[in-house]
Amino acid sequence: MIKLSWKLWLLIIILLSSALILFPNFEKGVVIKSVDQNSTAYEEGLRTGMIIKSINSESINNFEDYTKIMNSVFPSEKINPSSINKIIQKTDLNSSTQNKISSNPVNNSSKNTTFQKTKELPKNKTKLIINTKDSEFLLYTNEPPKITIENIQKTKIKTGLDLSGGARALVKPEVRVSQSELKDLITITSNRLNAFGISDVSVRSVSDLSGNNFMLVEVAGATPSDLKELVSKQGKFEAKIGNETVFVGGEQDITYVARTGEQSGIYSCDTVSQGEYCNFRFVISLSEASAKRHASITNKIGINSTNPQYLDKQLDLYLDGKLVESLYIGKDLKGSETTQIMISGSGQGANREDAYNNALNNMKQLQTVLITGSLPYKLEIVKLDTISPSLGKEFARNIIYLALIVFLGVSIILFIKYQKIKITLAVILTMFSEAFITLAIAALIKWNLDAPSIAGIIAGMGTGVNDQIVILDESVSNRETNLKERIKSAFFVIMTAFLLIIAAMIPLFWAGAGMLKGFALTTIIGVSVGILVTRPAFADIVRMILKD
Amino acid sequence: MNNQTEEKKSLTKSELYDKHYKTILTIPVIIMVLSLAYLAYFYSQNGDIMLKDISLSGGSTITIQGDIDSNAIESAIKSQFPDLSIRKLTDIGTGKSLALILETSAQPDEIKPALEKYLGYKLTDENSSFEFTGPSLSESFYKQLLIALLISFILMSIVVFFSFKTFIPSLAVIFAAFSDIVMPLALIDFLGIKISAAGISAFLMLIGYSVDTDILLTSRALRKKGGNLNQRIFGAFKTGSFMTLTALIAVLPAFFIISGLPDSFRQIFFILALGLFADLINTWLTNASIIKWYCVKRRIE
Repeated sequence: MIKLSWKLWLLIIILLSSALILFPNFEKGVVIKSVDQNSTAYEEGLRTGMIIKSINSESINNFEDYTKIMNSVFPSEKINPSSINKIIQKTDLNSSTQNKISSNPVNNSSKNTTFQKTKELPKNKTKLIINTKDSEFLLYTNEPPKITIENIQKTKIKTGLDLSGGARALVKPEVRVSQSELKDLITITSNRLNAFGISDVSVRSVSDLSGNNFMLVEVAGATPSDLKELVSKQGKFEAKIGNETVFVGGEQDITYVARTGEQSGIYSCDTVSQGEYCNFRFVISLSEASAKRHASITNKIGINSTNPQYLDKQLDLYLDGKLVESLYIGKDLKGSETTQIMISGSGQGANREDAYNNALNNMKQLQTVLITGSLPYKLEIVKLDTISPSLGKEFARNIIYLALIVFLGVSIILFIKYQKIKITLAVILTMFSEAFITLAIAALIKWNLDAPSIAGIIAGMGTGVNDQIVILDESVSNRETNLKERIKSAFFVIMTAFLLIIAAMIPLFWAGAGMLKGFALTTIIGVSVGILVTRPAFADIVRMILKD
Repeated sequence: MNNQTEEKKSLTKSELYDKHYKTILTIPVIIMVLSLAYLAYFYSQNGDIMLKDISLSGGSTITIQGDIDSNAIESAIKSQFPDLSIRKLTDIGTGKSLALILETSAQPDEIKPALEKYLGYKLTDENSSFEFTGPSLSESFYKQLLIALLISFILMSIVVFFSFKTFIPSLAVIFAAFSDIVMPLALIDFLGIKISAAGISAFLMLIGYSVDTDILLTSRALRKKGGNLNQRIFGAFKTGSFMTLTALIAVLPAFFIISGLPDSFRQIFFILALGLFADLINTWLTNASIIKWYCVKRRIE
């Protein structure tokens, strides 16, 4: 029985805990990534992070199982945008602009009739029994639950955007902002992205060596096509009659924005000479103050002489200072304290599908700025990267090959030099431990490993091996002094080398808005793990091997 | 018998070294002077000490996946984007063309329609990647990374002085670190390689990574135990050159074996590899000669 020193025990314990951090579960099922807050699923208590084990007593092991069940329970749930013209009433573009009634009073009887249904829904609701790890949920619904799910991650290692795909925008306010102003900006932007329906997003502040503050927006997975608009638009929405402002975007003036159901949607599409054209509309509720403003402003306006159904002036909608839509105001709205207003707009495209999608996007963007309000200053996107997930996967695979080649190459050269399998194994195991513990720490602090971070880990492995060579050579040569003293002198070299790496890498934490922070971080973690844990243990292993 | 001949050989080796260590110093000095002269010339020609890639000068990098004819695409849109440069990304394992990398100072929105028109399909996040860096950001990136490099160098110098607490040996180490940066930079400029933000961070790492052999050499040479001075220097050389060799084995595959890696990644390893080669010269020719000279003067045997 070999007696192990406490340094070795420490290494073993840390390795085991690293394994627990990296591979915490072998559970089967799918994990809920997000839940729409206005859905039955949410009302019934389904939440992000829950693990679905089975649906209608069919067990779910992965994403494919889930889609299969959803497709069999709701076979007709595919919405095809190109089929929309079959359900909606066709209207001629010219007549539709003329007839557009935009502001209508909260007249419950008329409300339902002014809206056309864009989608026919089945009447009968289906029962869904969803079993999660701890409990059971019953859903009566006619559509798949509004949740997004993903496979349970086998490891806790998170890869960065350049390896997993996604989008990253570094945004700089055009004026110099303080930390607290930046915080507000981040809140508004997060709200905006959430209101737009982008769930897997991180928005945070970064600053650089010259004291500039930036906002960094990172979206994992597929890139939303409107990211640029969403994060860079100031989103200053104003509704004006003449040059008087009736209401602006944001919760102070707008208390509710309809986004689902019959009060919101695309209601007509038309062919025009350049392509297709689709119109959207949705209802918003105004605060009392804005309703009063509306009343006093409209009170002053006369009836339009050529078009006596409407008032003489229009309600002009401006987005970031640009007129986006002019809406006619019905004559019965004169002087009334209207709290519900219908907003409309359109989208164009070369074909019907494009026009439909553009209209839908414009609607979502408009709804988003109406909900979140405007930013107090203009923004500039100084960096925008969108990385294809499939290319990232290719990179990730090649990096794993590379790591294996490095391991193999270093093992061979060590064996050639020392000709001892035990010593070679000890070096390799130490090198592996360092990389492994570094990965675990990265997972623990939820660091996303991008390509520079992994370069840092591999480079860290290189310095680790260097240090071990120093220990080995000190141990086997210079027989004049005792082993302990020689190892001590080896540690002087190692300690200095450690401090040097830290000194060299520290400035990278701030330079360039922290874009290369990962490289510095993993290197520093790697060498710190080396100096604190693995190197002392390795020295003990060498002592044990040399005593034999 | 065997031992005796070895001792004799090493003795002659030692004598040779005693005779020529100052002469040896001229080799790195010549390389260093050439490098600095080239950098000065390069600066006068280009107005900067390096060629900067898109991440440091501003513009777009577009990666289009698939096997696409790079010459055809170049002739099709080069007239619109004169500064366009195109590279192919191939998987050396299979020899298959992975993607095309295009770089231009234009914005993605400007070049995307032209590319889509040529290719005949839409570029989405499924088949392509777009990386855009605005000119204002890239300029501050570059400035800050150079400042970071300087800070890094100063911090390194402090650590070296603190560790050895003697002037000449510390200065020798710092000079070696300086040469480890200058020589690869001159070579990269000479080869016309554009440096990325990740590339500059590799130079930072080089500062920390390459000097450990100098530390080993200096600490062994100044320590009075374990053989005479030459034996200690030769011993350090044996250990240190092997360290550099393993480090090279760790960093070289990234550049030579697999090409299907992110550019940032490959450039980090390429610069580290050049730095490690330079370090062989700067540690064992420059630093060793200086420390030998110093020890001889100080009568450290």
